Order: sequence, then structure tokens, then C-alpha cells
Amino acid sequence: MAASFSLGIDLGTSNSAIALADLDTGESRIVEVTQVLGPNQYGERPTLPSALYIPHPDEFPPNAFPLPWNQEGEPAIVGQFARDRGALVPDRLVTSAKSWLSNPHIDPRQPILPWRSDIAEAKLSPFECSRRYLQHLKDAFLYLEHAQGRALDLADGQIVLTVPASFDEVARSLTAEAAKAAGLGDVTLLEEPQAAFYAWTAQAGRTWRDEIADGDIVLVCDVGGGTADFSLIAVTDVDGNLELERISVGEHILLGGDNMDLALAYSLHARLAEEGKTLEDWQLLALIHAASAAKITLFQDPTLAEAPIAVPSRGSSLLARTISTSLDRALLEQVVLDGFFAITDIDDIPRETRRSGLQEFGLPYASDPVISKHLAGFLGRSLQNVRASETLSALVGARTETRALMPTAVLFNGGVFKAASIRARVLELLAYWNGGQPVRELQGFEPDLAVAKGAAVYGRHRATGRGIRIRAGTSRSYYIGLETSMPAIPGFRPPVKALCVVPQGMQEGTELLIEGREFGLVTGRPAEFRFFSSAVRSGDAPGQIIPDAERELQETSLLEIELPPVDDLQAGQAVPVEIDAVVTPLGTLELWMKHTNSDRRWKVEFQVRTE
Amino acid sequence: MRAIRAVSILAVLLLLAANAFALAPQGDAYRDYLPWAGLGLGGLVLILLLVLRIPTGAHPTAQAALPTRTKAPANQAEAEIVSFLALMQDKGRLVDFLMDDINAYDDAQVGAASRVVHAGCKAALLEHFQIRPLREEGEGTRVRIEPGYAADDYRLLGTISGAPPFVGTLVHHGWKVESVKLPHVLASAGRLPTIAPAEVELT
Repeated sequence: MAASFSLGIDLGTSNSAIALADLDTGESRIVEVTQVLGPNQYGERPTLPSALYIPHPDEFPPNAFPLPWNQEGEPAIVGQFARDRGALVPDRLVTSAKSWLSNPHIDPRQPILPWRSDIAEAKLSPFECSRRYLQHLKDAFLYLEHAQGRALDLADGQIVLTVPASFDEVARSLTAEAAKAAGLGDVTLLEEPQAAFYAWTAQAGRTWRDEIADGDIVLVCDVGGGTADFSLIAVTDVDGNLELERISVGEHILLGGDNMDLALAYSLHARLAEEGKTLEDWQLLALIHAASAAKITLFQDPTLAEAPIAVPSRGSSLLARTISTSLDRALLEQVVLDGFFAITDIDDIPRETRRSGLQEFGLPYASDPVISKHLAGFLGRSLQNVRASETLSALVGARTETRALMPTAVLFNGGVFKAASIRARVLELLAYWNGGQPVRELQGFEPDLAVAKGAAVYGRHRATGRGIRIRAGTSRSYYIGLETSMPAIPGFRPPVKALCVVPQGMQEGTELLIEGREFGLVTGRPAEFRFFSSAVRSGDAPGQIIPDAERELQETSLLEIELPPVDDLQAGQAVPVEIDAVVTPLGTLELWMKHTNSDRRWKVEFQVRTE
Repeated sequence: MRAIRAVSILAVLLLLAANAFALAPQGDAYRDYLPWAGLGLGGLVLILLLVLRIPTGAHPTAQAALPTRTKAPANQAEAEIVSFLALMQDKGRLVDFLMDDINAYDDAQVGAASRVVHAGCKAALLEHFQIRPLREEGEGTRVRIEPGYAADDYRLLGTISGAPPFVGTLVHHGWKVESVKLPHVLASAGRLPTIAPAEVELT
């Protein structure tokens, strides 16, 4: 059945949003999300904070959090009130659940959140938290549309769910599965920077084609509250039509606007301490909010030299104990512009800090706060990736750069870039890396909720078959580890070879059988394979062997398969299989083991590698 | 009805805040306008209170014609107003500010505290009320009031005679609420909500 509407869902690290696109006109609008605003209070907000609060049984009156579609209310609260309340009681608050989905050390189905908390109530898994956010978004959407007289059936909709470009296949399939478990059915996945690009094309109307031309490489630079996400899109002219191809994606960087607010608050805190004014923990929280507001004020109005900040006391006497200070422009620029967007050299990339034996398994927060360095690292890896394949090299044309793939244009996204001076600083940085040659900014930047809107626009393009599509395919190549057969030598671990099973850029709705590589699987006995990926090996062909997987590739997860008994084979006998890789039309990767002598095949499950 | 109540409460609160602001040192620049603002807000409250009376008085039969209508709990309206007060307290510490003894503090302290109230209450105001001036012209300019104007949108001062259009000097541009979007409050049987819960740090 043909879709009658397109729904875009931005499941964000800090905030989530939904947008609905009209299939005829292409207009997209944000649908507000009904959510708990306090005990016995609910209302609509443009976004749903991706926060979940697990209350103590005696903390609130019974049934204090009913929602219009659920009079009983959920035991755990999702949204604005969860975030507000959780700021004061952090060990009951879950945030950044999404980032845990791509954490290689933690099984996202284990109930581990709130992280490092000793609450007696049942904890939740990152997967379950994501499912609840999605279910809330779904219920709120259906409720509000129904309340406004439009009864929509999700089955009639094209539903697009965005994921970070940095998500690997395991995190992507977990997200798709969470959506299914939330009752959204089979959703189409879309990378967030691509969604931002679609939103830009939609809001620029017909003129967007005039802004880019053959040979352009567009950097989508997305810095949100908690994460930074980069992608490069190449523009080519094929028979007079512009074609777009996403040629490189960045790593998952846990660094964003929240870090800037924290840094400002700590600087102000230090200044207050010098003046002999001390703050309680709670006041520090108020200071972070106030610093964030002052930052926005100063960035919005370049004529202001400073913005006043007042931090209230916690007790009821506001007059006696309000502490006042101010954020001046010098401090703001020093902390935000020079701290996070310093003019650094193109080969100055973040230090690798992984693999220290005693590292805590928390969220892998970026240890280097300088976004410039992460961007430099991304552009360097992009060049490496493009050089690895003849097709991509041809696509970007002859280039003289030796250290990084320089974009010719940049599309900003994310609340951080509402500040004109931060955009100007990034443009300055790119021009500096580009030998003084300016990199232009794509006009019509509209950061608010662009990802959700773009997802809805993309869904419309899919449903109607009209409108531009970015060629993307899998952002990485994938490999299966092969045990090396060689005699054991004490103190020497043989290198693990890896077989390429999915090449980078494998398109949606395609299938690939890796021929000539047979594996013997024994029925009734679970078999495990190590699974690797790479975002910089665009040239690897399916069937290719990588000699040292641990050095060249990133370990992604463990593959697990247990063959059920096969009729015509005795138990315990090896079944010859080949690997069959499928990228579904919805954008998720599936691996199958296909019986060499018949059409039978068995699906391989992704398991998270826990060390 | 609910909206009118909320607006009238808001106006009273702003009236009080405006008076408090007059005491603050930063208030100097606006001191000339504050009596007018106070007057305007007071007037607004009066109008609203009058408006509030009309529906109940003018259409008693309309109410009686709907006997099957599910009756809201008796304290629903009060619960909503208290919730609104709780919102202003939560976002802008308004009740703390008004209940404090202002005479005991110097202007710098009052000024610092009023920034907290101003920032928080303004954010809450803009979030829940779409608010705009009634007249876009600058105060002090000559304006024309066309025939058929809404009488409750204007307060005519000075010599009022003849028929509209009226021409005069705009003293206060007025405020008008375009739309109100308040949280849905679920009445708790027989109990009014808490304005601000007592906070206890468990150790």
C-alpha cells in the first residue's frame, strides 16, 4: 500500500523530535510532543528531552504521572520533567542512552542504566531506554494528531528514523529493532548529517541547486548538545543532473554544546571562588543554566560586552543570598572559541587514548575537547578513505592535498552553530587549512530540529520517488575474522586474518554472496566469529583477505550462530556454508550463512563483544 | 475562562514585580514609566475581573441547558491557578521574591534577585503566552482609533466626546495575549497543588 504521509523521527542523544511531511507539497512541520511536565501535569513541547527518571516508590503521590494515552502512567518518567528532576537527583537519571548503543564494551541489552548507580529499583538497558523514548514519541504523535482531528495509522506512513553517521551496523540494527519493539514497525534508517542536508534542500526550495556545483565537496558539520558528527558529500554532474554521494563519515565523538556550558560554568565558578563567594552543588547547576543563557545572549548580540548572571540561593530567601556575577565577552571567546574551536594545524589530531588496561568502561567521552582537532582527524581519515578506492578518487577529482580531504563548502547543523561567531571561526579554520582559500558556507542554515524535518523530507522522497537522493550505502566495510592456522609459538599471538564480506558503499536493497569461501558449521554447536569494520578502506572488495585485522581494522562485535538440526544431515556433522550479506531496503545489514548445496540459509546474530 | 483567570493572575504578578522593580537601582531609567505600567496592569486586572463575571452572569440558561456535562472537580480552576503560580515559582522564584521582606535589603541585592525573577518569569511567560503589544506605534506618537474598535482594547483618557475615529497620543501601547498554552493540570481530589515543595537533602 502506498504511503499517505512521511514521519521523520530524530532520536537524539539529548533531545528527540518528530516531523511530519506532506507528500504532495513537501512541506514538513514539527509535531509537538506531549509529555510529563510535573506531578499531575502534562503539556506539549517541541522536543522530548531524551532523559528518563526512575522515581523512588515513595517519592511522588501514587499515579502522579498519567498521560492522555496512558492513565496509569509509566513507572519511569520520560521527557522534560525527567530531565529537570534528574538534574537534582542524578543517580536516578538516565541520559545519553543512545551513545551506549554504540559502546563496544557494554552489552546494550543489559540493564546497566543509570550508570554506576546503586538504586534499588530495576535498572534499564540502553536498548530498553531507546525503545521507551521511541514508544513515547509514537504514542504522543498518534495522540496529538488524533486530538487535532487527524486519525493517522502508522501502517500508512513512511517512517524514517535517524541515526548518527558514526553508528556501525550493530548500533544501527539495535536502533531499528528498538523502533520495531516500540510499535513503529519496520523503519527506514537515515544518517543524521544526511537528514540535515535534506532539510537544507527542502527549505532552500528550488534554489539549492544553484548553491552547489559539480566538483563540490560539502562538509556537513553537526555539533549538537552532546555529540559531534561529521560527513562529506561529493557533488558530481552526470548528464546535466547533480548527483550527491556521501563519501565519508566521522567517528562517534561525545563532545558538544553541553561541554561548552560546563566549561563556562567552571570558569565562572573559579572566578567566584577567587572573590570569596562559594557555591553549593545545587547552585553550580543553576550557574550552568545561567552561563548557557548568558552565552546565547552574548552570541546573539555582538554589541554587548557582558551579560549579567545571577545565581539564586537554594533556600526561600531569594533577596539575601543571590550571587551575582557576569560573563564577559573575553571569557566567552577564550573558553568557547579558543577552547573548543582553536585554530590548530591540519595534522594536529586528537591523541588516541584507547587501550589503556585499566580504563574505566564508561561512555567514551572525548578526552580532547578541541573540536578543531577532531575535524582535522576526520578530514585526514577521509582522504585516506577516498584514496583507497579508484571510484571515490575519480569522484572527488584530481587533488593536490596530501594530508586531508578539504571540503569546498560547509553546511552547519546543531544548536552550537546558531552563534555566528562560531560559524565564522570554523570557516576561518577551514580556510587556514585550505591554504587561505575560503570554504563557503551554504546559506539558509536553520538548525532548529533540521534532522527531524530532513528525515520527513527524505521519507517523502522515498514514498513518492521524487526529489534528490544522496547515494550512500554502508558507511563502512565489514570483515569476518579467520583463525590463522599456524603452529603455536609461546609468547607470540598469531595475527588474525579477516575476510571482507561487505564493501563500503554497499547499496540498500542489495545482496552479496561471498563465493569461494566455504565455512564448515556443525549443527547444534554454537559458532562464533570475530567481526571487524573500517571507515577508511573504501577500496576493499568482497572476498578480499586483510592479513592483520587487529592492526588494520576496528573490532565491532561478535557474530554468533547456532545451526538447528538439518534434516538430511546427522547431528555433529559439518555443514558447508557461504556468507551471504544483505543490506535491506530499510538500510540495515543482515548476514546469513547459506548452505552451499541448497537454498537454505540461517541468520547470524550480532553479539556485543564484551571484554 | 481558564485563560482569563491565568492572565489576570499574571497581570497582578507583573504589577507587583513592576512595583518591586521601581525599587531596584537598575529601575532608574524606567522609573518614569513604572507608574503608568502599574496603572495599566491594574486596569487590565479590573477589566479581566469584569470579563470574568460576564459569562457566568449573562448566560445562566446556557449552563442549565447542559445538565449531562461532566462536572469538573470543584477546585479544578483553583488547582490550575496554583499550578501557574508554581510554574512562576519554579522558573523564576516569584513567590520567594514576593514573600521576602524587601525592606531589609539594599538595592544591589534586590537588583540581583530581580534578575533571577525577570529571566525565569520572562521565559515562562513567553513559553506559555503568545503576547504582543496592542499598538505597534511608539509610545508618545499620535494614533488613530478607528470606528468599530473593541472598547475593551482601549482606555481613553482626557476629554472623551464625539464619535470615533478618535485621535490622541499613545501613552501605553497595551498588551494582548494571542494564545495561551498552559500545561494540563489533573485535579487531585480535594487538594490544591503545592506551590513549591519543601526540599530536604537526604544524606
